[in-house]
Amino acid sequence: MSVMKYVFRPKSLWTAVAVIFLMWGTACGAIDGITGTTFNFTAKPGYIVTSDGDSILMWLYAAEGSSFGQYPGPTLIINQGDTITINLTNNLPSQAGNTSIVFPGHNATASGGVSGLLTREAPTNGSVSYQFTATEPGTYLYRSGSRPDLQVEMGLVGAIIVRPAMGDQYAYNHADTQFDREFLYLLTEMDPVIHGLVAQGKWGQIDTTDYFATNWFINGRNFPDLMADSFLPWMPTQPYNCQPRMHPGDKVLIRMIGAGVDQHPMHYHGNDFETIAIDGRMLSSGNGSGPDLAWHATTIKSAPGQTADMIWTWTGQGLGWDIYGHAPGDPMQPYEDAEDHGVPFPVVIPPRDVLTFGQFYSGSPFLGGGGDLPPGDPGLNANAGYFYMWHSHTEKELTSNDIWPGGLVTFMIVEHPDVPLP
Amino acid sequence: MRPPCFIQAVKILLLLLIALGIAALPCSASIYVQCPEDTDGIDADGDGDPANDIVCMHISGGDGFAKMADGKDQYTFSFGLVPLGMPEENVVSETALKATLPAPRITLREGQELYLTMTNVGMVMRPDLFDPHSVHWHGFPNAAPIFDGLPEPSPTANMGASFTYYYKAEVPGTFFYHCHVEAAEHMQMGMIGNLWVYPRQDQQGTVGGFSKFAYNDGDGSTGYDVEYPLQLTAFDSEFHDQHIAVQPLPFADMYDDYPMINGRGYPDTINPNPITNNATAFGAAENFDAQTVNTLIEADAGDRILLRVSNVSTTHQYAITTTLGVPMKVVGRGAALLRGPTGLNTSMTVNVLNVGGGQHFDVILDTSGVSAGTYILYTTNLADLSNGSQERGGIMTEIVLN
Repeated sequence: MSVMKYVFRPKSLWTAVAVIFLMWGTACGAIDGITGTTFNFTAKPGYIVTSDGDSILMWLYAAEGSSFGQYPGPTLIINQGDTITINLTNNLPSQAGNTSIVFPGHNATASGGVSGLLTREAPTNGSVSYQFTATEPGTYLYRSGSRPDLQVEMGLVGAIIVRPAMGDQYAYNHADTQFDREFLYLLTEMDPVIHGLVAQGKWGQIDTTDYFATNWFINGRNFPDLMADSFLPWMPTQPYNCQPRMHPGDKVLIRMIGAGVDQHPMHYHGNDFETIAIDGRMLSSGNGSGPDLAWHATTIKSAPGQTADMIWTWTGQGLGWDIYGHAPGDPMQPYEDAEDHGVPFPVVIPPRDVLTFGQFYSGSPFLGGGGDLPPGDPGLNANAGYFYMWHSHTEKELTSNDIWPGGLVTFMIVEHPDVPLP
Repeated sequence: MRPPCFIQAVKILLLLLIALGIAALPCSASIYVQCPEDTDGIDADGDGDPANDIVCMHISGGDGFAKMADGKDQYTFSFGLVPLGMPEENVVSETALKATLPAPRITLREGQELYLTMTNVGMVMRPDLFDPHSVHWHGFPNAAPIFDGLPEPSPTANMGASFTYYYKAEVPGTFFYHCHVEAAEHMQMGMIGNLWVYPRQDQQGTVGGFSKFAYNDGDGSTGYDVEYPLQLTAFDSEFHDQHIAVQPLPFADMYDDYPMINGRGYPDTINPNPITNNATAFGAAENFDAQTVNTLIEADAGDRILLRVSNVSTTHQYAITTTLGVPMKVVGRGAALLRGPTGLNTSMTVNVLNVGGGQHFDVILDTSGVSAGTYILYTTNLADLSNGSQERGGIMTEIVLN
């Protein structure tokens, strides 16, 4: 006996929308973070959960007013031209030593605290202050500048987004950098052995020279935890998700940050992206020409400490069949390929008893379509969106500490135009 | 090499499987090739023939063996070529254990349509597994999930069944394809092949002195005389050994120690002939030429050589260089001509090209002015000039200019 599921058609998508909101809440389309010009951080220990079922001791930045530190640190969303002050208090265990923050790409000055190798540092239970002017828009990171091989590994890293003077829907001060939705991809990795030694107080045994990562994170979570909503009460130290969604034709800005120590070749299914900036600088041949040195690719190496801004879009044009399953006389959807309108699906899909259905298959090849799913299928694609894996192509990193699947995997969901998105 | 005794147990399982298991699969009902005729009268690829725009291909997804340059046998998963027209009831028995490394090459002309049928013929050496397989065209623009080969948002073919993928080749370039089911495992095991789309400019006579091009460049700047695949494959022998021994797979410890070009390490790379595996030692009925891609690069002095480069290692990035004394000109990246959005030429001239996993490049070696002779292409990750613990191996081959 088969279990029938509801067949969702575009006209009944409002029902599906209620379901999807229960699953994913409202965070979508904008990057979660904190705004302002003065930020008061405390570096302190805390625990995160990993998708292989572990609980890991970390060192985390906590923003003022938050009882928890968070991994990664709070994303600072600031405006070009603003002068930013960050006050840091060191509540790490004394064996961690001094701590500090560096701001690659910004000309920061430090005051207070004690002198250190890269910048002034906050001693245990002490404080230090940093100031910089956000002269250039773009995507940046901040991280510990004190014993960074250990302190960054332990979690002291975060993102900075500088909004251009041109407006919040632009990545840089040029019309060609306009976007409809933006998503953060802050990549980190972990060697759990180091965290275990810290937790056990075996300070003398910590050796970062034989570092070997076995767990990988985007915005501080593994797959599939990163698909869940942002700000979940049961993951208080991992507030940020990574669940991109869009409509056909939307321009998506991917802000990618290599925030750890290894290089990750990130591969974006579904379409090419266009890299418009590296390290907070537009790929431009000169004044006013915009990102005319941008480059297309399917995969980009995220180098440690490097940031990249990419524009990605998807329309389904040129496939040679109608992605909506239209009859020739049906009305067109936005960005639909007129040449493919009404063109029938080209192959016969085999009967389902010889197939394995993925959890994100709607039961139909069509965007916004739907169909019968086998008994036991979780049916996690109630909107019948198109799912595209955005992941590391060092495929080993699609695991969380020996457990497949996990690690550096996300799914972009292209939703039917009738599905409302926040 | 005498196989370990555990393998003997697997061999018995294999014989049992052949006797009972595979024969019991509902194969003939579920194996079928979808291949329509091109009757639309439109010359979509521009070659002058309106009836050759549909390409049909049938591949198997299964297991096999490969022989490394130091003699080590490696258990593999990959695809194999199934001749079109093979009776459906013969497909499993004829193609089981005949996966090739790399997988069969797919070439198309821009404008053509590909009906690619993949039949999951099962993993004979791992009768405990019931994995589906899929085809992911890496880099296909504006892809739809049903043909993207990701097992999460699409159906995938179980053992004994076929799935036909459809692609309209609208964009030329150097791509590759691979199975995306449990990708860390299935790609490590070898399920990867080359996939190239020739540009429409190939149909337009001579441009800039050339008649074959990597892209529709308009000026002949991607023109070439000879082309070679340079797919950087790599195996973690421990992972493969644990696999054939039916042990838990070491994902966290995965670390490739057999770096290769097109499924061969040096000096097998300069042997233009197929390499015969040692499958009978593991219970197969016959040995098989599983590694068939010639990797010895030959050209006339003065030729432009197009290298279609990709890295499909699941753990490593590799940088390559040559001893030709001329730089490598990178004209394509990610199956896209290196041109900016306003048409600026963004091609790069490099001596070393670093290729991350999943990256694909088009590299032109212009040998004009280079004397005839034998030159070396090798990885500058010098520790990867090895086959396991054997030195002078790995990612290295010869470029012979005649």
